[in-house]
Amino acid sequence: MEQQSDEFSEKLLEKGILTEPQLKEIKDYKALNIFSLHNELNTLLYLSVLLFTSGIGIIIYNNIDSIGHEAILSLLFVLTVVGYYFCYKKSVGFQNAQTYFESPFLNYLVLLCTILSCIILGYFQYQYHVLGYNWSTLLGCILSFFCAYYFDNKSALSIGITGLATFVGITITPKTLIDNEIYSNPMLSYYGLVLGILFLVWSDYANKINLKRHFSMVYLTFALHLISICCIAGLLEDYWILFVFLQGIITLYFYKISYKNNSVSLFGFTLIYGFIGLNIFLSRIAQYIDFSIFEPLLIMIAPMYFIGAIIGFILLIKQFNKKKNDSSK
Amino acid sequence: MTAVNKQLLQNILLLKEAKKLQKMGFISNDQLDLAKIELPVPSSHYNLLFRLGFFILGSMLYSSISGVITLFTATFTQDNFEIITLFIAIIGIIISEFLAKRNYYRFGLDDAFILGFQVSFLGFIWAETGNIFSVFIVMVFLGVLCAVRYVNSLSALISCTGITGAIVYSVLEYHVIDKLFLPFILFFLALGIYFIFHRLNKITKFNVYKNAFLMLQIFSLILGYLSMNYLVVRELSEKLMNIKVTPGNDIPFSFLFYVFTFLVPLLLFIYSLKTKNRNVLYIGFLTLTFSFFTIRYYYALVSTEIALILGGFSVFLTTYFCIKKLKNKDFGITFKPDSEFHGQNQSNSEALLSNSQIDLKPKIPIHQNMPFGGGGYSGGGATGGF
Repeated sequence: MEQQSDEFSEKLLEKGILTEPQLKEIKDYKALNIFSLHNELNTLLYLSVLLFTSGIGIIIYNNIDSIGHEAILSLLFVLTVVGYYFCYKKSVGFQNAQTYFESPFLNYLVLLCTILSCIILGYFQYQYHVLGYNWSTLLGCILSFFCAYYFDNKSALSIGITGLATFVGITITPKTLIDNEIYSNPMLSYYGLVLGILFLVWSDYANKINLKRHFSMVYLTFALHLISICCIAGLLEDYWILFVFLQGIITLYFYKISYKNNSVSLFGFTLIYGFIGLNIFLSRIAQYIDFSIFEPLLIMIAPMYFIGAIIGFILLIKQFNKKKNDSSK
Repeated sequence: MTAVNKQLLQNILLLKEAKKLQKMGFISNDQLDLAKIELPVPSSHYNLLFRLGFFILGSMLYSSISGVITLFTATFTQDNFEIITLFIAIIGIIISEFLAKRNYYRFGLDDAFILGFQVSFLGFIWAETGNIFSVFIVMVFLGVLCAVRYVNSLSALISCTGITGAIVYSVLEYHVIDKLFLPFILFFLALGIYFIFHRLNKITKFNVYKNAFLMLQIFSLILGYLSMNYLVVRELSEKLMNIKVTPGNDIPFSFLFYVFTFLVPLLLFIYSLKTKNRNVLYIGFLTLTFSFFTIRYYYALVSTEIALILGGFSVFLTTYFCIKKLKNKDFGITFKPDSEFHGQNQSNSEALLSNSQIDLKPKIPIHQNMPFGGGGYSGGGATGGF
């Protein structure tokens, strides 16, 4: 691998892209033989938090109505409080801009404390019925948001957002993207739309007052998926005409937003959801027309339709990439 | 030899290197811009989402074209539907060539047609001969041919699958050798593939095929591990050789498989750190995880929750130890942030995944509406204060 890389650098020199001193610098750097395990070790830390909290979660879930686990629970409580105190001590405090911990462990400690406190809250609700079930969810979610903003932790933020969606009754996690209860319960899709639009408004407002600008990607991603899934669910319902307009507006809006943020993933998913919506719309229209005579014609048109779609996508992406390259200069 | 201009393919590698150097801060933005002008490359998508999207669109286009062809030819061919699959494959080849000539490479569309025509050609072979073995043999050659001609790395995988399938099939159906030795044969096959990879990867003339070679490497490592993994061997021997495992009566060579289940990941770790190869390291992690799963599958010493907590603790301690040790090192294996990659993507994906881990939805108990228990209402009037 290394040998080949050297060769590439030398070829770049031949082409006049590199200069001699630069090549020497590169060679010196490569001689250090650096192999960074930074990302891998961080991922392992993250994994350890997830493993630990899932274990705790299962223990509490299994023993939820037996007596004698208060000891574990109080231990957890103490652990969480100590963890929070530790994070609080080490953190630079709340700031509008992005903040960092000095040690890599603390980010994951925040995540651990957030998940543990949500587990403890849920348990208290079950055992002592202090609040309603929804209110305890909301409390957990407020806590997560607080941690996210105070300690600058994106994972906590995403737990908060998910919690908010749970509060209105929707599950939004990557694994429920396809198999979601939104599709079977039309009322949920309205809630989802409202929540998604709320996220959009908030992220816009936060950008304006310069509050944690780097969080806006998380909000936008959730909003895009939530709103689009709700629109698609709506398109399959009886009042689909309304959702055609909504999907159109949302697609346009996110198209603009993705240009503004230079975000490839937002752009890609906007196109995908838009295309799915368009296809559902077309098939809805096709229901009203009697195609029985045209069936062979339809099969022959299909390749044309796909070629058209492909050309359209190529043009759109080309334009996007061009804009992206221009703005990165 | 390659369908896409070879110079353009080589430029991809050079441009990639230039981008890497720019990210690491060795060359300026202007130099990168110069490189972009000096080094024309084929149209490709490096973003997986776009490539996948075009792959799906391309597959739809290919199948709709196949639909049209079938519609037109079905009346002429009557019962010889095999001919249609051959015809569809030929159309696929023509389109693949066309796309390659227009310099579409790793675009998603080209992948769809290259893989698609292979599948329909294999379908033709199967329909003609009705013999899986011949399909496997054709897979080997077709895969290599496409990998060489279109520099398509997934085709290399097809070829590997073909050769593995052919060997397994000949042992199981034609009884070339006793079934007992199948794991060892596959292990040696994996070693062989790795050897080929190792040899080919060194030849600089072939560096445009780097990704195809990578497929060989990944395939051989995973095949090598799975062929000697206790769980895989035991489940398959129960199925294929009707061996019943009872206490005190294990599968043949069981000791060897136990040892290899843990030896292979360990060797992979050592090898990856020694050669500084990230892919091997990842496969090492994956195989080690599967090894733990293997042991837990048969010997659940502790309950799941305890295992998870202990696992979390031990992963944490190991990582903590490693980070402490590597923190202040400036060369070799370090914990310094990698200048080639940026961490933003990682934190975003972590944020996305952590919510699938925790379920904030309250687990509502069944008797929620009757908090006073069974007798609360009915007995009220009789036993109350009246």
